[in-house]
Amino acid sequence: MPDTLLFILVVVPFIAALGLYALRNDSLRMVLVLATAVLLTGSSLALFSHETAAFSTTLLGLNPQPLIVLLDFVVLFIILAVGLSAKHRLIIYLAGAQIVLLAVFKLVSPAEATGQAMFLVDPLAKLMVFVVSVVGSVIVIHALPYMKNHEEHLHLTTSRQPQFFAVMVLFLGAMNGLVLTNDLGNFYFFFEVTTLCSFLLIRHDLTDEAKANSLRALWINSLGGLALLIGLLWISLDLGTVNIQQILAMTPEAAFLLLPIGLLCFAGLTKAAQLPFQSWLLGAMVAPTPTSALLHSATMVKAGVYLFLRFSPAYSGTFFSTTVALVGAFTFLAAAGLAISQSNGKKILAYSTVSNLGLIIACAGVGTPAAIAAGMFLIMFHAVTKALLFLCVGTIEQRIASRDIEDMRGLYAVMPVTALIAVLGALTMILPPFGMLLGKWMAIEASAHNILLVVILALGSAVTVLYWARWAGLFMTYPFKGRIYAESQPAMTRLPLFGLIAAAVLLSFYAPAIYNSLIYPTISTLPLAMVDAVPGTSWGILVMERGSFPVIPLFLVAALGLIAAIYFYKVAGKVKPTGPYLSGAQSPDNENEYIGPLRQSILPATSNYYLEKIFGESTINRWVNTTAMVLILLMLGGGL
Amino acid sequence: MTSAQVFLALIAGLFLAPLAVGVLTGVDRRVTARLQSRIGPPILQPFYDIAKLMGKEPMLANHWLAFCSMLYLAGAVTSVVLFFLQADLLLIFFVQAVGSVFLVIGAMTVPSPYSQIGAHRELLQIIAYEPLLILVIVGIFLATGSFKIEAVYAMEQPLLFKLPLLFLVLGIALTIKLRKSPFDISASHHAHQEIVRGVYTEYSGPYLAIVEIAHWFEIVLILCLLSLFWSTSIVGLVLLLGITYFVEILVDNTTSRMTWRWMLGTAWITGITFSLINLLWLYYG
Repeated sequence: MPDTLLFILVVVPFIAALGLYALRNDSLRMVLVLATAVLLTGSSLALFSHETAAFSTTLLGLNPQPLIVLLDFVVLFIILAVGLSAKHRLIIYLAGAQIVLLAVFKLVSPAEATGQAMFLVDPLAKLMVFVVSVVGSVIVIHALPYMKNHEEHLHLTTSRQPQFFAVMVLFLGAMNGLVLTNDLGNFYFFFEVTTLCSFLLIRHDLTDEAKANSLRALWINSLGGLALLIGLLWISLDLGTVNIQQILAMTPEAAFLLLPIGLLCFAGLTKAAQLPFQSWLLGAMVAPTPTSALLHSATMVKAGVYLFLRFSPAYSGTFFSTTVALVGAFTFLAAAGLAISQSNGKKILAYSTVSNLGLIIACAGVGTPAAIAAGMFLIMFHAVTKALLFLCVGTIEQRIASRDIEDMRGLYAVMPVTALIAVLGALTMILPPFGMLLGKWMAIEASAHNILLVVILALGSAVTVLYWARWAGLFMTYPFKGRIYAESQPAMTRLPLFGLIAAAVLLSFYAPAIYNSLIYPTISTLPLAMVDAVPGTSWGILVMERGSFPVIPLFLVAALGLIAAIYFYKVAGKVKPTGPYLSGAQSPDNENEYIGPLRQSILPATSNYYLEKIFGESTINRWVNTTAMVLILLMLGGGL
Repeated sequence: MTSAQVFLALIAGLFLAPLAVGVLTGVDRRVTARLQSRIGPPILQPFYDIAKLMGKEPMLANHWLAFCSMLYLAGAVTSVVLFFLQADLLLIFFVQAVGSVFLVIGAMTVPSPYSQIGAHRELLQIIAYEPLLILVIVGIFLATGSFKIEAVYAMEQPLLFKLPLLFLVLGIALTIKLRKSPFDISASHHAHQEIVRGVYTEYSGPYLAIVEIAHWFEIVLILCLLSLFWSTSIVGLVLLLGITYFVEILVDNTTSRMTWRWMLGTAWITGITFSLINLLWLYYG
């Protein structure tokens, strides 16, 4: 049975991708996409009923290893061909080096390693599969009406949707493979597939900017791929195995192995777009919004942080681990600062992703059970909320033809449903009792013994509140003008939004249960060096050694507060409306305007503080990138 | 905690503490008036103000203001109640942030330039004091080994001796939270405020009354945090609070409001340097 589920989760998307590529019919494509989405969602949920650590050596009785080797070379040769046709030297060198090294690896790698314990279904993998399959499916469904509008807007003669959806679905399969595999060689293969998929998706619109940005994404991720391959080769030569569980069991004794582990982490940093590699993820926003949503929430960048969490036992309790925490925390703060200076909605979301992933990496670096738990919470809640916010911005952009948040001022008066969902989504990022805040709370309490780290986290946490609260408030800035009617939207646009916001709230409510069923089994069995007491739950209260977070009681209080506030809002509906305060110089004709010089009516306008002189890209990019590079060198040096 | 204690804690947190702060603000106004050679209003003036606001005809420039004022109150009250129930300090801090965020969102709902700028300045105040409060709480953790308030009460010596610099850092946060000069950037009680009442501009009548009451609860929370620094005796606690508050009034009346850049720089550079030094003492001491 787990065999079949694994087959559906990993292989079916590859087959569906072929089908989607071949099909040129809109309604058939819709059926196939929906069917794949249902299959993936169902299988990822069915996986929960299977016990931990179910190993499989083959898929449905077949050994896929030779096929994987073949496809691995195919992917690398495609990347090489891309490099050659674009005359991009860096990509050519990186792909060429990987082809040579991969051939070496296949020649010298220990034969017994391949074939045994190819897949591992443990709670961490289940959590990741859930994030990839469920959130990914919702994004793909939302993309159906979105891409139709998108192509109508571009006036394309031949639809490019077949390629688009093929790559989207393929991406999900590759991510599932990446988080389920227990063979570091296969991990590398799936890692490269995600690199190629992201390249194809970013390039999709074929504008000059899209082409340039996709090449940047390709070379940065190929650099990570090369680092991963070197680490893989090194580990397999030294330990004689590529079985991830065996590696984790051996590394604490073999301290010299921290350098290859450091190379793996370097690959994770490029994939998670951590400073100074953030430019590829920021460039990726030229792509249609479903691509951004997929890259930022369910796939791609999550592969990077997954790597850190998966390998945390290998470096836990070392100096290297402390530097990992610092690298992550620094990105958390710096990217949050950069987000303040942005007015482009997608860019704010991008920096916020980079920032939150930094926090997750910091958790992996702190490496206590509570910190790893915080990291797992953050992965799940970030995926759901960030997918939601990207889909909101995409939906808004198709309506107002802008992604500048200044143009979204007062959006509530135009599209109240989407605006309210977006506001609630933004608030779930920063306020209790929601999951993101729970994760942040755990992260700060778990790292409170590391002074430098906790100072950085404290600053980053405050800065994060600023850019989310500002955006949420801005959606609601509108002059009072009577009744506002809900906008109409296709069901496949609205349902994903409702589904994701419901998931963000409900998963937060069930956080204690999720902790007990998924996170506790992971952190209580991890061979971590830094062991403090494993947190527990009672009566919906998450109890750690250092403190406690009453999730469900807080939810009840929040519900009471919300009911009171809604009652107040309803009663206020009968209250006499008035114009904004304008120093008493209100125009008699329009209460939103004031009488200015020459008795002209003037509409006052304000815009946000962006603090460009302090947090602007041109001001701090150079400094934060340099600092990040120094920290990464420190990290790799710490592996020696 | 027994159920009788929980009941007492709820009474104290919900009613006694905010009433005490109401009186304290009355005293504050009186002392301030004397410092400015005026007689000043009656001690109970803050309560008269609330009563008068409650009786005003409600008028709103945006209905969501009513919604946000209620959630501001809910966040502030919940954080105070959690404190009296001796919950986790960091959690209490995050719950009070709910209130501050809704105050800002409410102010942002109206396109009045005064309220908009006030809201943004309030956000800048939030990023100025939030890291400081987190670091004070981390300091308390390093001194007691736990984020729970009961661990503070188990201490035999006042925390002030272990966290002298963090007490000063908390003072900076307190000045910002109390809206006192030189940090009364987003709103203040003084007539010289050039953006009228900043973040409060659009809250009026009964809604302003709710916002004022919520602000009392916020002050209760900060004073409670201060009280943890002398948790071993009631006399010491009262003295510490009294002296600190008097110093706040003095500072308020002897300094003038600065720009937000200055506030952010001072709060972050001074506050973080002091915190780092004090945290290092704790770590290696």
